[in-house]
Amino acid sequence: MAISRSVLLASVAFAMLAAGSFFAGPVAAQNSELAKSELVGKIEGPQLVLDPAQMPKEFHEAPMLAELVKAGKLPPVKDRLPAEPLVIKPLNEIGKYGGTWRRGFTGTGDVENGNRINASDKLIFWDESGNKIVPSVAKSVDMSPDGKTFTIHLRKGMKWSDGAPFTADDFTFWFEDLYSNKDIVPTPIADMSVNGKPGRLVKVDETTVQFQFDDPYFLFYDMLAGDTLIGGGQSVRQSQTFTFGAYSPGHYLKQFLPKYSSEEEVNKRAKAEGFDNWVKMIHFKKDWSLNKELPTLGPWHMVNPINTPNWVLERNPYYYGVDTVGNQLPYIDRVTLTLAENTEVINLRAIAGEYDLQERHIDIGKLPVILENQKKGNYTVHLDLAINGADTILQINQSYKADPEVAKWLTNADFRRALSLGIDRDQLNETFWLGLATPGSAVPAESSPYNPGPEWRKKWSTLDIKKANEMLDAIGLAKKDGEGFRVRTDNGQRLRIQVQTVRAFLPWPNQLEMIAQQWKKIGIQADVKEVERTLAMTRVLNNEHHIMVWNNGGTELFYLFPRHAIPVDPTEAYMGPEFAQWYASNGKQGRKPDDPNLLKIFDLFRSAAGQQAEERYKTAQEIWKILVDQQYGIGTVGQSAALMGVRLVSNKLGNIASRVCIAQHCRVPGGSHPEQWYYKQ
Amino acid sequence: MRATSAISGIFARLAPWRGVAAAPSAEERIAFATQFQLTWWRFRKHRLAVWSGVIVALFYLVAIFADFIAYTDPHATDARRSYIPPQAIHIFDADGSVSPWVHGLKGKRDLKTFKIVYSVDPESKLYLRFFAEGYRYDLFGLIPTTTHLIGVADGNAEDGLYLLGTDLLGRDLWSRIAVATRISLFIGLAGVMVSLFLGVLLGGISGLYGGTIDTLIQRLIEVIRSIPTIPLWMGLAAALPNDWTTTQIYFAITVIISFIGWTDLARVVRGRFLALRGEDFVTAAELAGASRMRIIFRHMLPSFLSHIIAATSLALPAMIISETSLSFLGLGLRPPAISWGILLQDAQNIQTLGIAPWLLVSAVPVIVIILAFNFLGDGLRDAADPYG
Amino acid sequence: MIAYIVRRLLLAIVTIWAISVLSFVIIQLPPGDFVDAYISRMSANGSAVSAEEAQSLRRLYGLDRPIYVQYAKWMGRVAEGNFGDSMEWQRPVTEVIGDRLWLTMVVSIAAIILTWGIALPIGIYSAVRQYSIGDYIFTFLGFLGIAIPNFLLALIIMYFSFKLFGTSIGGLFSAEYQLAPWSFAKLGDMLAHLPLPAFILAVAGTAQLIRIMRANLLDELRKPYVVTARAKGLTEMRVIMKYPVRAALNPFASSLAYLFPYVVSGSIIVSLVLSLPTVGPLLLTSLIAQDMFLAGTIVLMLGVMTVIGTFLSDLVLMWIDPRIRFQVDE
Repeated sequence: MAISRSVLLASVAFAMLAAGSFFAGPVAAQNSELAKSELVGKIEGPQLVLDPAQMPKEFHEAPMLAELVKAGKLPPVKDRLPAEPLVIKPLNEIGKYGGTWRRGFTGTGDVENGNRINASDKLIFWDESGNKIVPSVAKSVDMSPDGKTFTIHLRKGMKWSDGAPFTADDFTFWFEDLYSNKDIVPTPIADMSVNGKPGRLVKVDETTVQFQFDDPYFLFYDMLAGDTLIGGGQSVRQSQTFTFGAYSPGHYLKQFLPKYSSEEEVNKRAKAEGFDNWVKMIHFKKDWSLNKELPTLGPWHMVNPINTPNWVLERNPYYYGVDTVGNQLPYIDRVTLTLAENTEVINLRAIAGEYDLQERHIDIGKLPVILENQKKGNYTVHLDLAINGADTILQINQSYKADPEVAKWLTNADFRRALSLGIDRDQLNETFWLGLATPGSAVPAESSPYNPGPEWRKKWSTLDIKKANEMLDAIGLAKKDGEGFRVRTDNGQRLRIQVQTVRAFLPWPNQLEMIAQQWKKIGIQADVKEVERTLAMTRVLNNEHHIMVWNNGGTELFYLFPRHAIPVDPTEAYMGPEFAQWYASNGKQGRKPDDPNLLKIFDLFRSAAGQQAEERYKTAQEIWKILVDQQYGIGTVGQSAALMGVRLVSNKLGNIASRVCIAQHCRVPGGSHPEQWYYKQ
Repeated sequence: MRATSAISGIFARLAPWRGVAAAPSAEERIAFATQFQLTWWRFRKHRLAVWSGVIVALFYLVAIFADFIAYTDPHATDARRSYIPPQAIHIFDADGSVSPWVHGLKGKRDLKTFKIVYSVDPESKLYLRFFAEGYRYDLFGLIPTTTHLIGVADGNAEDGLYLLGTDLLGRDLWSRIAVATRISLFIGLAGVMVSLFLGVLLGGISGLYGGTIDTLIQRLIEVIRSIPTIPLWMGLAAALPNDWTTTQIYFAITVIISFIGWTDLARVVRGRFLALRGEDFVTAAELAGASRMRIIFRHMLPSFLSHIIAATSLALPAMIISETSLSFLGLGLRPPAISWGILLQDAQNIQTLGIAPWLLVSAVPVIVIILAFNFLGDGLRDAADPYG
Repeated sequence: MIAYIVRRLLLAIVTIWAISVLSFVIIQLPPGDFVDAYISRMSANGSAVSAEEAQSLRRLYGLDRPIYVQYAKWMGRVAEGNFGDSMEWQRPVTEVIGDRLWLTMVVSIAAIILTWGIALPIGIYSAVRQYSIGDYIFTFLGFLGIAIPNFLLALIIMYFSFKLFGTSIGGLFSAEYQLAPWSFAKLGDMLAHLPLPAFILAVAGTAQLIRIMRANLLDELRKPYVVTARAKGLTEMRVIMKYPVRAALNPFASSLAYLFPYVVSGSIIVSLVLSLPTVGPLLLTSLIAQDMFLAGTIVLMLGVMTVIGTFLSDLVLMWIDPRIRFQVDE
C-alpha cells in the first residue's frame, strides 16, 4: 500500500512538472488572458430613460407601417403607442428601420427560442447586468412596506398587437377566467401563495392592478421580474398548454370560454375546428407560437407558426417601446427562424454565415472552427460568460435506499468530499471548455450578491488526491481489490457507483469518462451510464439513481429556480427525490431527511420568502455554505460561455453589446433588447 | 452424392489395374473429389476472395490480441494530449542505424484561435521498440502481462507515441481502434447466427410446404417487419437490469432484436424454395422415397447454399453498420465502451472535420472489413455454385 | 387466381390490425409517456414544468387512461378517418405527415431510380464478364458504397461543400423558396437540391443490388437451358435477356416488399444529417417523444405499405417465374 501511494505521488509530481510548461502559464494567466482576449467584452446594454421629462414629443414609425397608415389600415403612430411608452436609449446610435433577422431553431420543442425574443412582454425585467430590476410592460411595480401588496402600474393607452386596449381587465380576466378555472388550470401554482395561503389579483382602476397576499412575501417582487411561472410573460407562460403569466387578452379569448356563451357552443365550435373539446381548443388559441390570431405584446408577433419549417415573426405595430428620438421600436421588420433537424446543422449554417445573430445551440467545442470562418461568414464572435457556478454538477442522491451499502456512502459527507477532491477540474476545463471556464465549487460568481465569499470557490473543490485517499481510507474504505479499487464493506466486492448522464447541452458522457478515469487514482469505480433523457427522468423520479449529472443554471438567482441546488421541487430533484416530495407536500408525502444539514437547508429556504432582499441574500449564502461544505452537489467548472454564451453576430447588425448577461433570468437574447438592433445597410 | 463419390473413390483405388497406372489425372481428381474439395479449389481461384479471407482472419486476430496491439491504455484521458495530430516516425537514428524514434511533444493553446498548437520538443527523443513494456492488461482475459507489440524504450508510450494522433480527451487513436475491433467484430455474431437459423428454417418451411403454413408465416413476416425497432430498443434498454454494463445490454438487445431480423433472409429463401420445388431432381428424390427432411437438407439446400452464404456475408457487415448507425442515433453502445460506432460518433461533428480530421481514420477499418466480408462472401458464393 | 387475390386481401386486413396493436404496445414500451418526454425536454431547455401541469397535460391527452382504452379510442377514430392530433406538433397527424409525405416519396423514388438504374446494368455486365477488370472495378466501387456508413458520407460531403463553395447544403430548398408558393422556379430549386441526397441514399443500395443481380444471373447462366438457347442460335443478347435476367429478377420481386415502406419513410439517418424534411426523422422524433398518434399513424402507414408491397411482390414473382404461378394454382 505505502509503496503504491508514493509511486502515485511521484508520478503525479512528475506529471505536474511535465505539465508545467502547459499549465503554469495558461492557468495562472488564464483570467487575465481571457480578459485581454477580444472575444470577451464588457457587459453593456441599452439604458432605459425613465424620466418623464425626457420623453420624446414626436413619434415616427417604420416605412412598412407608414404605408398601412396612409392606406387607412392602421391608426397613426401616436395613437398606437401608450401615453407613456418605454423609452430605450439605443446602445450605440439611433438605428434604421428594415431588415430580416435570420435565425435557426430545432423544432416545436424549441419554443424557448422565440419566447426569449419576446421577453419584453414581462411586466418587469432586469438590466444588462442581471442585477437590477427595471420596468418593462409595467410602468412601475410598488411593493408595500409589509411585503403583502404589490401594485402594478400599467401604461395608459397601451394596446395589444391587434389594436385592442391593454388594461387591468386583462389581468382580472386571466385570474378569474383562466387561472381559477379548474378545467384549464387544475392546481394553483406555488408562486401565487405564501405560507400555503393563496394570493389574489384585484383591479384597482383601468391602469392599476394589485397582487394581495396574507403574509409578507418580499420575494414576490423578484418573482415578477424572474423567469417564473407568474412573472414569465405571456409568450413563455401561456404557450405549450401553460396558463400563467399574470395577464391574457380577454377580448380575444372570451369567445372560446363556456362562461361567455355555453359549454355546448364552445364544444361545437371546437369540434368544427378540429379539436376534441373546448379545453384543447383554448390551449391552442392562447399559444402564441401556434395561433397567429392571438394578440401579444412583444416586439414581433407570429405570422407563420412554429410547427412548420419556417417560424416567422413580424413587427408588432402596437409595440410599446420607442427610442430617444421617438422612433417606434423595433427597428428590424421581421424574424425568420428556419428549421434545422439537429444542432450540428445549426452550427454548420451559423458558420456558413446563414444566421444574423445566433447564440442558441452553438457548441463551444466548435469555437476554433467558428473563429476560423469569421471573415468568410461575415460575422463576429462574442463570448458571454454565465454567472452560475457549475456547467456540470454531480448531484448525489441523498434519499437513495435501494442498495444500503451504496446509500451509506452516498450519505457520508467525507465520501462526497473525497470524490470532489479526486476531480481534476483543470483538465476538464482545458478539454471541454477550452480553458474558458472557472473551475471550483457550484456557488455563483463572486460578483453575485448570493455568493458566500471567495474562499468558498475552492473549498473541497481542488485536486488533492492524497487527501482524498486519506479520507476514504479513514471512513472505512481502506480495503482495495487486486486492481486498486476500493471494496464494499458488506461483501468484499468492488464498490461501484453509478453515475447517470444524458446527452444534452454539453458532452456530459465524455466529461464523465474523464472523471471516471480520474477517480481511478482514488480507488473509486464509477459506472458511467448514458441513458435516454426520459428514462433518466423516470429513474430519478423513482429514486433509483446514485449520482445524476446536470448543470446548475438558474441557481444564480437562488430563490427563483432552486431545484438544481437543493431538492425542493419534486419534478426534478436529483439531490433527493423523496426529500423533495416531503418538502413540497409539507410532510404528507415522501420521507423526512435524517441529515440535520438538509433539514437546516429546508428551514432556511422556507423562511426566505418572507425576508427582505438583504436578509434573503444572507440566507442564500448560508445555504450555499452548507452545500459546499457537504458537497451534496459536486461542482466542477462554471461561469463559462458553454450554454448560449458563444454568440455569432453578423457584421451587418448595429447596437450589439460586446458582452451580455446570459443567466437564466436574463433570457438571452431578450435581455439585450433586440428591438433596438438594426441593420446597418 | 457424397457417399457415392466416396465409394467410387474407394473402388477406384481397390481396382487391380489402378496400381499399375500413373497418378490420377486432373479430370479424375475432379470427378472423385468431395464437394468440399471442389468448393475449396474453386474458391482458391478467386484471388480477391482469398485475400479478403486473409484480411478477415487478420481482423479477428487483431480482435483477439487487441490489447497487445494497443500501446496506450485506451481509456486513459489527459487534457495535455488533446487533439494531437499523427506524428512522424524517424526511421534512421543520428548515427545512420535503423532505429525508429519519435520526438516528444509540447502543447500550448493559442488564445487567438483557441486551437492547441503542438511543437516538437527537440530534446526529447523516444525510441520505438517491438515487444515493449506498456500498460497492464490480461491477455485472452486470463494472463496478466505488460508486453505490447509496439512501445517505447525507457519511458511511457503515453508521453510520446501517437501513431494515429489522439482524440479530444487525449486518448491514443491507434490503441482505441485496436480495442474497438474486439467489440465490433464479436458483438454481432450471436445475433447473426440467430437470424440465420430462423431465416432459413422459417423461409424453408414457408417455401416448401406452401399453403396455410406459408400464408401464416408470410403474414407473420409482414407484421414483424412493421414493428418499429426504435421504441423496442428503448424499451428493452430500460427493462434490462440497471447494473449491466452498456456492452452487456447491447449484446442482449442484439440477440433479442435478431429474433425479428430474420425476415429478409426468410423471404429470399422462400422465393428460392418456391422456384426449386418444381425442379426435376426434387421430383426424382420424392419418387425415390426420400423423406421431406432429406429432400430439404440433402438435395435442395445445396442448390441455394450460395444465397445463404451471400446473405450471411452481407449480414455481418450489416450488423457492423447498424451498430455504428445506432450509436449515431444515441441508441447503441455508449461510452465508456469502445467500438467503431463510438469512435465514429466522436468523429461525426464539425470540429473533427475542421480541426482533427485524423479521427476519421476510424472509418477505415469499418470500410475495409466490410469490403473484405463482401468479397469473401462473393468468392464463397461463386465457389459453392453447383454448376461452376 | 381470383380466389387467391380475395384471400390475400382479407388476410391483409387481419395483418394490418395485428400491426396496429403490436406497434401501439411497442411504442408505449419505453418507460414514461409523452408528458414525461415533454417534461424532460422542457427542463433541458431550462423551463419548469410543475407536477400539477404534468397531471393536467396527461388528462388532456388521455394518457391517464389504461392502454387498451387509449388503443380502442384511437382505433375507433381511425375507422372514421380521424387519425388524431400530434401532441408534439399540435396539429392533426394527417397534416403533419401530409406536409412531408410527397417530398419523401420524391426523394425515395429518385434514390430508387438511381439505384436500380445503376445496379441492374452493372450487375448484368459483371455477371456476363465475370472476373474481368470491369467486373472487379465495378464490384469494388459498389462495395465501397456499402462499406462507407452513409451518414458519415453525408456529413463529410456537407462540410466540404461548405469549405469549397461556401454554401451549406442540406434541406430540399434554398431559403428564398422555403415559404414561397409552388412555381416552376421552386420546382427547379428542388430538383437542384435533389441529386445529393438521392446519391447518398442510393450509394449503399446500389452495391447490394449489383451483387445480388450478379449472383443470380451467374446462377442462371450456368443452367443447361442457356446452353441450349445458344446452341439453337439465339443472339447473345436474347440469350441473356429473355429468360436468365427474368429469373434473376426473382429477389428483386421479393425486395419490392420492403421498397414500398421505404418510399414512404425514406432513410432516417441520412435525412437527419442532411436536414431533409422527410417522414423518416419525423418517425424517429415521434417515437422518442412517444407522440402516440403521430408515431402510431406512421407505423400503421408503413405497415400498410409493407402489406401492399408484399402482395405486389408476390404477384410480380408469379408473373416473372411461371413455375411459381403454376404451383400456386395447384
